[in-house]
Amino acid sequence: MNVASRLPETSRKDGPRQSAKPPFLGFGLGLRHQHYDEILSGNPPIDWFEVISENYMVPGGQPLRTLDNIRARYPVVMHGVSLSIASTAPPNFEYLQALKDLAHRVEPKWVSDHLCWTGVHGKNLHDLLPIPYTQEALDHVVSRVQLVQDFLGRAIVLENVSTYVQFNNSEMTEWEFLSELSRRAGCWLLFDVNNVYVSAFNHGYDPLTFLSGIPADRVVQFHMAGHSHMGTHIIDTHDHPVCEDVWELYAAALKRFGRVSTMIERDDNIPPLDELIVEVNRTRAMAEQVLGPAAR
Amino acid sequence: MSDFARQQADFQRGILAADDSVLAEILDSPKEKRETLFGVYRYAYGSRLIEALRNDHELLHAYLGDEMFDEMGHAYVKARPSENPNMRWFSQGLPDFLRSCAPYSDHPVLADLAALEKALNDAFDGRDGAVLTLADVAAFEPEIWKDLTFTAHPTAARLDLVTNAPAIWRALKADETPPDAAMLDEPTRILVWRQDNTPLFRELPPDEAMMWDEAARGVPFGVLCSMLATYDDPDNAAARGAGYLHGWVTGGCLSGVST
Repeated sequence: MNVASRLPETSRKDGPRQSAKPPFLGFGLGLRHQHYDEILSGNPPIDWFEVISENYMVPGGQPLRTLDNIRARYPVVMHGVSLSIASTAPPNFEYLQALKDLAHRVEPKWVSDHLCWTGVHGKNLHDLLPIPYTQEALDHVVSRVQLVQDFLGRAIVLENVSTYVQFNNSEMTEWEFLSELSRRAGCWLLFDVNNVYVSAFNHGYDPLTFLSGIPADRVVQFHMAGHSHMGTHIIDTHDHPVCEDVWELYAAALKRFGRVSTMIERDDNIPPLDELIVEVNRTRAMAEQVLGPAAR
Repeated sequence: MSDFARQQADFQRGILAADDSVLAEILDSPKEKRETLFGVYRYAYGSRLIEALRNDHELLHAYLGDEMFDEMGHAYVKARPSENPNMRWFSQGLPDFLRSCAPYSDHPVLADLAALEKALNDAFDGRDGAVLTLADVAAFEPEIWKDLTFTAHPTAARLDLVTNAPAIWRALKADETPPDAAMLDEPTRILVWRQDNTPLFRELPPDEAMMWDEAARGVPFGVLCSMLATYDDPDNAAARGAGYLHGWVTGGCLSGVST
């Protein structure tokens, strides 16, 4: 496959794309189909919505129509789960084109995905799989991020994932890897507070060490979510309310990163919209408490 | 192959093929052994894909029950690993799998039920298209109606089912006890399409199904009526054709008309 021929002419000359930092959007929520009607009929007090990109990478029908309607009323951010940015498989340009087409339609404030891989050798495991934090992996992911950013014509935002295993050949920490990736590739970071908490518990480090290792000027979004505690490890199920430990870590994240667009992410066991709005309001209140008027 | 690529291949094989060689490359955590931690990925793989199948095939799931559906789901996951980044398309091969793999192929109603649900799912988020109205058709002078050709709505699809799956689908949808599965002497001819946001289906009589199939190939209305005359009641073939056409237009099954 001739990768260079798929890229815009200018991007091949320009090298890594530099872009303005995405704007502060306030306090948002992950859009789920269970809440479509209530959102469109009630205009709930939510500053913005994050949508799962793949849910709308379909030919047409109600999902896209609904997204158009919500986009007309609220700022929207696209969040993918299948970019597989760290995969060693060849880039999937069909997927990238569909993602680019959707971004053209939605005009999101930014496009994000995860620092992970989802499959190789033509298979897709539909999971956010971990990587070794090696120089080889870093060089590979930097080049992939640059390629994707050139193809999409925009800087992307990458999220730290919850992990359950660590590789014995890692040469750096996850936060060192993320920091270096962001600096070299020019991408922004989505700091998932729950994922930091989960990974820190699973691997036995202090989440505040992770937090203080991330460059404050690269973080443009926070995720807040719940998880399932198994005693010896935590599984990132996103099917519970945010727990108190994660709220505490959020307060620390606010102190370090300042005013950052924040959202509640619930993927399963979806409760009524009102319950999630209570959590959104708590992110707002906590930001105002920690940052004062600067939080608005 | 780079170390990174080899590690990913090992990791994937550990999930898909239960190969434990990847365990030599990962660490125990302070509180748990690596086998258990890697098991989180193994378990999540199957359960996530089966959940996707349950979402896409709600009524097949209701028909089979949790245990049988999940057993079938595991067999499908093993036989047809996902190759598309978008999980929306993972279940696309299920009707073919059920039709071709024992023991499911011994029960054709399963493949039929899956095919009907797949067709409805595909209509739900299928391509948008214009909807032809009666006024659009009436704009043509009656003397050129014989030359009219029609374009199906992009979501319209035909399928032939060999069992009473539509009756079972309707019962399950209404939360009623479904009838016993039965093979039919003649296939049921189904038309699936989307009306506004709602996917619909209906059974077609044999001559209407023939007319739809030929119309979708661009055969003009006059010829369609002549073909209908070969089925039954030749004197009323034109009226029957006009009636079928009226139903398609008012149902929103057509996108265009031209000469």
